[in-house]
Amino acid sequence: MNIQFKKGALELCVLALLNKQDHYGYELVRKISDRIAISEGSVYPLLRRLKKEEYFTTYLQESQEGPSRKYYQLTDKGKDYLYDLLKEWQQFSEGVNHIIKEGVSNE
Amino acid sequence: MNKQEFLTSLESRLQKLSKEERQDILQDFNEHFEVGKEEGKTEEEIAHSLGTPSQIEKEILASYYVDKVESTSSTSNIFKAVWAVIGLSFFNLVIVLGPFIAIVSLIAAGWITGAAFVISPLLFLINVAVFPDSFAFFDMFFSLALCGLGLLVVIGMLYLTRFGTKGLIKYLNYNVNLVKGGMKS
Repeated sequence: MNIQFKKGALELCVLALLNKQDHYGYELVRKISDRIAISEGSVYPLLRRLKKEEYFTTYLQESQEGPSRKYYQLTDKGKDYLYDLLKEWQQFSEGVNHIIKEGVSNE
Repeated sequence: MNKQEFLTSLESRLQKLSKEERQDILQDFNEHFEVGKEEGKTEEEIAHSLGTPSQIEKEILASYYVDKVESTSSTSNIFKAVWAVIGLSFFNLVIVLGPFIAIVSLIAAGWITGAAFVISPLLFLINVAVFPDSFAFFDMFFSLALCGLGLLVVIGMLYLTRFGTKGLIKYLNYNVNLVKGGMKS
């Protein structure tokens, strides 16, 4: 799939996951890569960029096993951004689905 | 590739970044490896699904350069941006190019007027040299007065030019921001 296209979708996935609850990096990567084929390393640059845009904050939390983990928490700004993206995504996917449907039924 | 090799390779590729930022990134990946190992994966498996360090480097450096351009908006960058803004639509052609032409022609007119006033005694001398009969005290004093007035106009234009340029840059920035804001989605 087109890389640019995938990146936009990846952003949406990360924000949507964080909307429900805080996650640490590995968890986010695993939940996404369970369903979509991605190169997992590109999630981290994305997380850094979105944090710079103040869409979420981070905090460290100890875990029972191993080192403490960096958790990501969605801000109000991030929530607004998520809803903007969501609206665009829905319009976009509706349009694509419509076109596909027409193309296939006319065959 | 094991964890150590992966982190070393990534570190050597991120020398452009500040030490703090580099350490922060490496810490993120270190944590990723550690959690993955707790879940029973090998370092090689984790490194493989992360992708190559060079790909991660490209993604990190891309956003680094974009930040850099945004923080240093020089005049030449702004003019490049103006052309980009103008290229977007007819609306922009009017709201950007209109004021731009107005300000530039106003400043040009001021300079030409000032310059003409300043050199008017010279014109008077040329006139007298060519047509000695036409010498008149009134013309001489009038041209000298114009010269003084011209000097004042030139000084005024210096300030006006500086002020106009600043205002123009501000206005362009405002337009660029408008467009940027609109394109962000």
